[in-house]
Amino acid sequence: MKVLAAGVVPLLLVLHWRHGAGSPLPITPVNATCAIRHPCHNNLMNQIRSQLAQLNGSANALFILYYTAQGEPFPNNLDKLCGPNVTDFPPFHANGTEKAKLVELYRIVVYLGTSLGNITRDQKILNPSALSLHSKLNATADILRGLLSNVLCRLCSKYHVGHVDVTYGPDTSGKDVFQKKKLGCQLLGKYKETIAVLAQAF
Amino acid sequence: MALFVVFQTTFFLTLLSLRTYQSEVLAERLPLTPVSLKVSTNSIRQSLHLQWTVHNLPYHQELKMVFQIQISRIETSNVIWVGNYSTTVKWNQVLHWSWESELPLECATHFVRIKSVIDDASFPEPNFWSNWSSWEEVSVQDSLGQSILFVFPKDKLVEEGSNVTICYVSRNIQNNVSCYLEGKQIHGEQLDPHVTAFNLNSVPFIRNRGTNIYCEASQGNVSKGIEGIVLFVSKVLEEPKDFSCETQDFKTLHCTWDPGTDTALGWSKQPSQSYTLFESFSGEKKLCTHKNWCNWQITQDSQEMYNFTLIAENYLRKRSVNILFNLTHRVYLMNPFSVNFENVNATNAIMTWKVHSMRNNFTYLCQIELHGEGKMMQYDVSVNVNGEYFLSELEPATEYMARVRCADASHFWKWTEWSGQNFTTLEAAPSEAPDVWRSVNSEPGNHTVTLFWKPLSKLHANGKILFYNVVVENLDKPSRSELRSIPAPANSTKLILDKCSYQICVTANNSVGASPASIIVISADPENKEVEEERIAGTEGGFSLSWKPQPGDVIGYVVDWCDHPQDVLQWKNVGPNTTSTVISTDAFRPGVRYDFRIYGLSTKRIACLLEKKTGYSQELAPSDNPHVLVDMLTSHSFTLSWKDYSTESQPGFIQGYHVYLKSKARQCHPRFQKAVLSDGSECCKYTIDNPEEKALIVDNLKPESFYEFFVTPFTSAGEGPNATFTKVTTPDEHSSMLIRILLPMVFCVLLIMIVCYLKSQWIKETCYPDIPDPYKSSILSLIKFKENPHLTIMNVSDCIPDAIEVVSKPEGTKIQLLGTRKSLTETELTKPNYLYLLPTEKNHSGPGPCICFENFTYNQAASDAGSCGHVPVPPKAPPSMLGLMTSPENVLKALEKNYMNSLGEVPAGETSLNYVSQLASPMSGDKDSLPTNPVEPPHCSEYKMQMAVPLRLALPPPTENSSLSSITLLDPGEHYR
Repeated sequence: MKVLAAGVVPLLLVLHWRHGAGSPLPITPVNATCAIRHPCHNNLMNQIRSQLAQLNGSANALFILYYTAQGEPFPNNLDKLCGPNVTDFPPFHANGTEKAKLVELYRIVVYLGTSLGNITRDQKILNPSALSLHSKLNATADILRGLLSNVLCRLCSKYHVGHVDVTYGPDTSGKDVFQKKKLGCQLLGKYKETIAVLAQAF
Repeated sequence: MALFVVFQTTFFLTLLSLRTYQSEVLAERLPLTPVSLKVSTNSIRQSLHLQWTVHNLPYHQELKMVFQIQISRIETSNVIWVGNYSTTVKWNQVLHWSWESELPLECATHFVRIKSVIDDASFPEPNFWSNWSSWEEVSVQDSLGQSILFVFPKDKLVEEGSNVTICYVSRNIQNNVSCYLEGKQIHGEQLDPHVTAFNLNSVPFIRNRGTNIYCEASQGNVSKGIEGIVLFVSKVLEEPKDFSCETQDFKTLHCTWDPGTDTALGWSKQPSQSYTLFESFSGEKKLCTHKNWCNWQITQDSQEMYNFTLIAENYLRKRSVNILFNLTHRVYLMNPFSVNFENVNATNAIMTWKVHSMRNNFTYLCQIELHGEGKMMQYDVSVNVNGEYFLSELEPATEYMARVRCADASHFWKWTEWSGQNFTTLEAAPSEAPDVWRSVNSEPGNHTVTLFWKPLSKLHANGKILFYNVVVENLDKPSRSELRSIPAPANSTKLILDKCSYQICVTANNSVGASPASIIVISADPENKEVEEERIAGTEGGFSLSWKPQPGDVIGYVVDWCDHPQDVLQWKNVGPNTTSTVISTDAFRPGVRYDFRIYGLSTKRIACLLEKKTGYSQELAPSDNPHVLVDMLTSHSFTLSWKDYSTESQPGFIQGYHVYLKSKARQCHPRFQKAVLSDGSECCKYTIDNPEEKALIVDNLKPESFYEFFVTPFTSAGEGPNATFTKVTTPDEHSSMLIRILLPMVFCVLLIMIVCYLKSQWIKETCYPDIPDPYKSSILSLIKFKENPHLTIMNVSDCIPDAIEVVSKPEGTKIQLLGTRKSLTETELTKPNYLYLLPTEKNHSGPGPCICFENFTYNQAASDAGSCGHVPVPPKAPPSMLGLMTSPENVLKALEKNYMNSLGEVPAGETSLNYVSQLASPMSGDKDSLPTNPVEPPHCSEYKMQMAVPLRLALPPPTENSSLSSITLLDPGEHYR
C-alpha cells in the first residue's frame, strides 16, 4: 500500500486528474473515455521528442549519481548489481506504427514513473543528505509526468485511444535496504538504456 | 431430620478437606512440567520468542519457579546456550521469554527445550526438576525463497565497537562465495556446506546511511550473483555534559547541556537520541523537544530543592546525568538596564542603572568596568533594585565606556551579561605648555626665526586644541609686542625679526582656556659662534650624544636634528644636569647622515649652540662610484681624476678610494697590492686613505699596453658597487716622434696639392699641353722604321691653313649640354674648341705645327675620298688608348693588320658608323669640344673627317649615364662626314 501512496497514486492523480482528487481511482479504468479537458498542443510530437531527448540527456548522470550514492559495491559492480535485467519491463518495438509506439511508450513511462517514485521515496529516507540525487530524481519524475500527459493527449486526440493496460514498477516497500538499492540501480540502468532507444525511435 | 442434615454436612466437609489434603500431597510429589512450548522468531531482532504454560499448577496458587532453557544449534546435541529464568507463576499463566541470537536465525536451525523446578519457600523441600520438554525446532531457511544466495542479518542496527555475526546461505555448494565489507574481503567460519558465518569484531562507524556488506557467488570466473546487507552502525550514545539548570524569574528553570554526538542514522533506522527531564521530588517528567536545552515550569513556590535527572536515549542505549540543587542558588539575573550617566564634567560622573527585581529584599552584587584611554578600572558595588556609582578621577575630554553586570549577592551563581554605555567627560584648559623650539637664519638686517612646537598629548591637551597664540615681545623695546593666533593643527610659524632681542611666548588654546606659556628668547646676535663638527657613530638603537656642560647657569639643553627625508626639525629637551643623551627614533634610516646640534638654554632662555655632531645610524657602502677621467695619457703613465665626486652625499663617511688596475703583467706596480675580485679574477689594488684626494697618477706603465682600471670609494661598511673596468691603452713610444715628423710632411703635401690645384691650368699648359708635339712622339721612330713614303710629317711651313669659320655657339645651349662639366664649359666659352684644332693667327702667336696623320683605325673603304684632313685633337686621350698607341710594339701590331679586319672589331650596332675615334673618348670631356653644328669640312683639305656628330645635339642633354658612350649620342641611321 505504501507504494500506492507514494509512487502510484500521485502518478495516477496526474494521469486521471479529470476524476478529481477525492474520487477513488481505478488503476486501469476499463471504460475510460477519451475525453480531454484541454485541447492538445499542436506540435505534440515535437514536444514528446523534446522530452525524450531531455530525459535521454540526463539519464546517465542520474544513473551515476544514484550508484555513487549507494556506496560500495555498486560503483565497481555495475554489471552485477545494476544490470538492466528488469523482468517485467514493458517492451518497445521501434519499427512499429506511431500508434503502437505511442502505446508502448505510454506503458513504459507509467512503469518508469512508478518505479522512480519508489526510488525517490527510498532515497530520501536512506540518503537524506544526497540533495543533488533527490533533485535529479524529482526533475526526471516531473519530465516523465509531462511526457505521459503529452503521450496520452496524442493517443487520445489522434488515435482515440482512451485506455491502455499498464503495469507498474516493483513494490520495494517490503525489501531490505540492500535490495532497495539494488532494485533502484537496476531500474535506473534499464531506464538509461530504454530512454536512449525511445529517443531514437521518435 | 435436622440431625441428619448436620451429620451429612459434616461428612461432606470432612471429605472435602480430605480431598484437598490429598491433592496437595500429590502436588508435592508431582513436578510442575512446562508444557505447550512454542517458539517463534523475530527476524529484525534476531531473537527466539518462547511461550509456554505450566501443567499441574494448583488453582489460584502462585508459585515461584525456575525454568531452565536449553538452546541447541544445527543439531540438538550442539547446545549453545543454557540459562535459568525465574518467575512467579500463576495458574494457567502463559509464560514468555526471549533470547537474542548472535548468529542470524536464518543461517542455522535452532532447537529449544525447557524444564522447571519450584523455588518457593512455601513449598516443602526437596524440590525436583521436571522432565525436559521435547525439543522445539526453529528453522527459517525453508522460507527464504529461490535465490541462490542469501546474506543475513538484514538491516541490523548495532552500536559502534560491538561485535556482529553475519552469515550467508548458498543454495549451491559448488558456488564459491566471497564476502566483502566496504570492498574489503572478510573471512568466516563454515557452519555447514551451505552456511558460513563471519564474526565482525568492533565494527566501526563509517556513515550514518549504513555500511554495505555483500557476498558474491561465482563458479570459476563467472559471477552468479551478488547479494548483500546494510549494517547500520550507530555511534555510541554519550552522556550529556555540562548539565545545569537556572532560573531568571523563579517561574521557569532553564536547563542546558551539551548533547555530544548525534546518533541518528539514515533509513529511519534510528532517530536522534531523545532527552527526558525527570524531577524526583515532584516525580514529574518532561520529554524535551530540543537536543540541548529544556524549560521546566516551577509550579510550587515552596519547593526549593530540585533533583533533576536528564536521560538521553536511543534505540540501543540509555544515558543519564543527575543534578541536585537549591533553586535560590541557581539564580541567573536578567541583564541590568537603563544604564545612564549623570552630572558628567571634566573629571567625574555618576553612573546609574537598574536591575530586574526578583524577590523582596534581594541584594545584588554588581561589577562596574570603566574603559578609557587604554586603561580599565573595575569596581564592585552592592545594590538593591537601583544601582548608582560615582566615577571620579576621570580625564577631561575623554570618551569612556562604562558597563555593569550583576549577580545574586547572597548565593553567587553567575554574572549577567554586561550592560554598558559610552560617555565623554568635558574639556578643561590644557595643563602643560607646548614644547617649543626654533631655528634661526640670520640675514643682513634681520633674523628669520621659525618656531616649531609639538602638539600636546591628549593627557595634557584636555580637549581639542583650537589654536596657538604666539606673542612676540621686543626686549629692547618693551612697549612693542605682537600676538599671532595660529589655528591648529599647524605646528610651526615663521617670524622675521630685526636685530633686537625678542621673547616669544607660545600657548595652546582649547575651548576652555589657554595652556601655560612656553617662553623662548631670541638674542640680538644668535648663533654666530663657529663650532666644529664632530663625527659620531650611531647604532641601531640611536645616537649616543654627550657634550661639555655650558659654563654658567643653564636651565637645560636642547638637541635638535632633521629627520630625513622629510626634513622636519626634531628636538629633544634635556635637563640641566645632564650632559649626555641617547637620541633614538624609528625615523632614523640607515645610510642617512644626521646632523645634531646641541644647545644650552641659559636662565634667560637664550639658546647657545654648544656642539655639532654628525653621524649615521648605520653606515652603508657607497651607492655609486665616481666618474673617473683619464688625463695625461703617455706611453708610461696616465692620470686618473674624479674631482666631481661628492663625499658628503654618500650613505657613509667616505674613508678613501680603492683603485683597481688590471694589466697583462702579473706583477703589480709599486704601491699597488694584489687583490682578488669578487669574480675571482686577480688585479692590483691601490688604496687612497684621504677622501679628498681625488686623483692618482698611474705610472711605470709599458708603452702600447692594455690596462683596465676601476675606482671605487669605501666607507666603514664597504666599498662601492661593482662596475665595469675602464680600458686604457698606452700609446707607442715613437708615435709622438712620428707625429712630429709626419704632421709637417702632411702639411707640406697638402700645401703643394692646393697650389697645384690652384695653378692646375698653368701646370697643364706647361707640362701637358693639349696638342702634343709630334716630334716628341715615338710614332716617328715607327714611321721611319716602316719607311712608308706616304707618311710624312708636314712641316709647319708647308702647311697652308684652312679658312676657319668661327661659329658662335649659344651659351645657354652649351651650359645645358654640359651642365656637369663646368670647367670645360668655361674653357669652351673662353676658348672655342676648334681653335685648338686649327690654330689661327689670332690665338696662335707663332707658326704652330700643322699635323696630318692617318688614323689607323679609320675604315678606308667606308670613308670618303681624301687622304688627309684636319684631325680634331682632343685635349686628352684615354689612358688606354694612349698606352696602346704609345707602345711601339702595339703600334707595330696594329700596322701589320688589315684595316678591313679592324672593321670587324667594331660592334655590330656601330657598323653604320664610318669612324670610331681612337683619341677622343666619349668619356672624356673633349666630346664637348665638338662643334654643336656640323662643320662642313673643306674639300681640299688633307684632313680626314673623323668625327661623327649627331644631328640631335640640340636636343636636351643626355644624362650622366648617357655620356658613357658616344655611340648613344649618334643616330645610327645618319652619318656626318
